[in-house]
Amino acid sequence: MTNTRKTAREIIDYYDGPPIRVMEVCGTHTHEIFRLGVRKLLPRQVELISGPGCPVCVTPAEFINEAVWLALEKGVTICTFGDLVRVPGSKKSLAAARAEGGKIQVVYSPTDAFQYAKEHQEEQVVFLSVGFETTTPASCLSVKMAAGEGLSNYSLLTANKTMPGAYKALKGSADVFLYPGHVNAITGTGLCERLVDEGVSGVVTGFTAKEILAAFAVLLTRYPEGKPFFVNAYKRVVTPEGSLPAQKLVEEWMEACDSEWRGLGVISNSGLRIREKYQQFDARIKYQIPKQQGGTNPACRCGDVLQGKCKPTDCKVFGKGCTPLHPIGACMVSGEGACSAYYQYGGEYDG
Amino acid sequence: MCVGLPGRIVTMKDGMAVIDASGAKREISTELIENLEPGDYVMVHAGIAIAKIQEEDDEETEELLEELL
Amino acid sequence: MDKTVTLAHGAGGKQTSELIDKVFKEHFANPELTSDDAAVLQVEGGKLAFTTDGFIVSPSEFPGGNIGKLSICGTVNDLSCMGARPLYLSCAFVIEEGFPMDKLEEIATSMEKTAKEAGVRIVAGDTKVAGKGQVDGVFITTTGIGRILEGAETAGNKARPGDAVIVTGDIGRHGCTILLEREDFGIEAEVTSDCAPLWGTVEDMFSVTKEIHVIRDATRGGVGTVLYEIAEQSQVGIRLNSEAIPVQDNVKGVCGMLGLEPLYLACEGRLVIFVPKEQANQLVEKLRQGKYSANAAIIGEVTEEMAGRVVMTTEIGAETLLPPPRGELLPRIC
Repeated sequence: MTNTRKTAREIIDYYDGPPIRVMEVCGTHTHEIFRLGVRKLLPRQVELISGPGCPVCVTPAEFINEAVWLALEKGVTICTFGDLVRVPGSKKSLAAARAEGGKIQVVYSPTDAFQYAKEHQEEQVVFLSVGFETTTPASCLSVKMAAGEGLSNYSLLTANKTMPGAYKALKGSADVFLYPGHVNAITGTGLCERLVDEGVSGVVTGFTAKEILAAFAVLLTRYPEGKPFFVNAYKRVVTPEGSLPAQKLVEEWMEACDSEWRGLGVISNSGLRIREKYQQFDARIKYQIPKQQGGTNPACRCGDVLQGKCKPTDCKVFGKGCTPLHPIGACMVSGEGACSAYYQYGGEYDG
Repeated sequence: MCVGLPGRIVTMKDGMAVIDASGAKREISTELIENLEPGDYVMVHAGIAIAKIQEEDDEETEELLEELL
Repeated sequence: MDKTVTLAHGAGGKQTSELIDKVFKEHFANPELTSDDAAVLQVEGGKLAFTTDGFIVSPSEFPGGNIGKLSICGTVNDLSCMGARPLYLSCAFVIEEGFPMDKLEEIATSMEKTAKEAGVRIVAGDTKVAGKGQVDGVFITTTGIGRILEGAETAGNKARPGDAVIVTGDIGRHGCTILLEREDFGIEAEVTSDCAPLWGTVEDMFSVTKEIHVIRDATRGGVGTVLYEIAEQSQVGIRLNSEAIPVQDNVKGVCGMLGLEPLYLACEGRLVIFVPKEQANQLVEKLRQGKYSANAAIIGEVTEEMAGRVVMTTEIGAETLLPPPRGELLPRIC
C-alpha cells in the first residue's frame, strides 16, 4: 500500500529505535551535514561521528614539510589543491612558504598542474598528490599525459590513500557507516558488500540534501532489524563495478605501500606510490627528499577525533589555541575537517 | 573527501569534454568513463568525470523509500 | 599575530581586522577613527564624511569595469554608506614603469565617467612611477569627502533586534568575475562585475526613510563578512533565509565547481542595509526601481539571541551557522 509510505523526514522524526552511532566516513558528508543543519533534525539517540575521510586531515605533517622543502630549498613550483595551502607543517604551512618567496600554485585539477608544467618547461613542477580512490585517477592521468608529452619537469609527491585498510581499522568505531559515494563511484560496491560478512553495516550515500536524508531514513529503518546490512543509496552515480578504466589506470601507474594516517598511525597497504618503472615521476626519488621529522602538537587530539573516540569540543586546544585561522591540528585546517566543521558551524550551537 | 559537481556534457573531443554546470563551463577529462555522449550528465571531481549520472536525485530517493516498505 | 604579512591579511576577514587593530589603530587611534566605512567629522553647519581606499586588482580590466572605475566606486560607496553625498575626491597613482599609456587613458576615462555619474569632483592627485616589477601595473588610492544628509545617522553598531536585513542585488559577481579573469582554474562563465557608484541608490533610500540603522558596502570579504562585522559591532544575532539570498545561476555554478560560498565573494556595487522591519518592504520596492538595485531583497532579520553570530535557515528547513570568514578564499576540491 503506497499510501502508508513515509517520507525520509517522517522516518527520521519518528525514530524510536535503539541508540545508534553513525560515522560519516567522507569529509564532504561532514561538510554538507553541517551546512544543511542535518544534525539538528536527528533524534537524540543518533550519534554522528566524523570519520577520517578528509585527505588533508589524515596527511601527516611530514608531507607538508617535504613540500615546503621542495618549494624553498629546491625552488620547485608546487601545484596543489587549495585545501592544502593552510595545513600546518612542523614549522610552516605552504601559505607561509609562499610569503617567503616559494612558488605555490593552486589548481583545480591535477591535469591543470600537468598543463602548467607543459607551459613552463623552464620550471620544475611538483603536484601534491593527496586524496582517496576518487582523486587518485586524476593524478595518474596527469602523469600519463606528462609521459605522453615527454615532459621531464613534472612529478608527483604522493600521499594517496585507499579506504579498505581504514575500514578495518575503524570497524568498532560505529554501528553504521555512511560510505563515501564518490569513492564507490570509482571502486564499485564489492568491498562494502563483503564487509557485511564481518558484521559491518553501511549505506553508500550521495551528497544532496535529499540523498543524505534518504540514507538516514534507510539506516534508521534497517538498523533496528538487528542484522548487518549494506544498501547502495546512490545508485544514480554508483554502479556495482565502478569505473574499470579508472581502476586500470591507477593499477598501471601506482602500487600499494604502507601509509601513515595522521591520528590512526601506519596502516599497512593503505597508501599508493608511483611504480618503480615510472620513478622519474616520483618527486621523492627525483629530488632525493631527505627524511622529514614530524612533530605535531601533543595537546592536539585530531587522532582521537578521527577515530570517533572524542568530539572536537573535547580537545583542550579546540577553539582556543586551535582555530581555522591559526590551526594546530589538521582537522581544523580543511573546511571538511571535523574540527573545522564543528568550529565554523558552531559545535556548541549544534550539539 | 571528494567534492563532486554534476555537469552536462556540451561537446566532446579526444577524451576531453566541455561540461556546463549552471552556466559555468570547464574542460574535463572523460577518459575514465565509457560510452558518453553530448547531453549526458556526469559527476565531476578535480577535473575528471568519475561517473555517468543515471537520473535525478528525486527519482533515486523515491525508489529507495519505496523499497523500505 | 603572524610574523609576516600574508595574502590572508588582505582578504578582508578576521586577519585583516587583526592587522588593522594591532598595527595601525595602535598608532593612529582617535575618536573620529572608527570601524565604519568613512569617518564622520563635525564641522560648522553639518557633518562631513571622510574616507580613503587603496585599489590593487589583477587584471586591471575586467568585464563590467576596470581599476579606475573601481577606485571611484569604492570611495563614493564608502561615503554613501554614511549617508554622505560625495563632494570631492583625490587620487594617487603608483604606476609601473612600462605601463601602456593608452591603458592609463582608458582608466582615466572610466574615472571621469564614474565620477560624473556620482556627482563628485576629482580635485587633487598625485602620480608616482615605480620600477618594473615593484608594482603590478597600476595601483590607485582615492580619498573622498562627502556631506552627510540631514537626519542620516548610520553606523555599524546601530543594528537592532527587529531590523530587516536587505541586500541591494545579487551577490558575489565582482569576486567571481575576477576569479574567472585570472584564468587560474580554467572555468568559463558569463559573469559581469557588479561594480557601480551607489550614491543615487542611497539617496533613493533616504527619500523613503531617514530611519536607516546601518548601510555597508559589501566589498572584499563579501556580504558574509559584513554580516559578521555588524553582528559583532551591534552585539546582535542575524538570522538569514538562505533561499532568499539572490545569487546569479552562473555564479552558483562557479562556486559549486570550486567549493566556494557566494556570501564570501567580493561585491563592488552591493549594499547591506539594516532597517526597522516596518520600513523594509517600502524600501525594497523603491530600490527595485533603481538602476543598480533591481534585484534588491530582504534576506534576513536581526535577533536579540545569538549575539555576534549569523544563523541560516537551510533548504531543508533546519538551522545552521554561516561559517565565519576565514581569510584567503581557497577552492576546496577534496
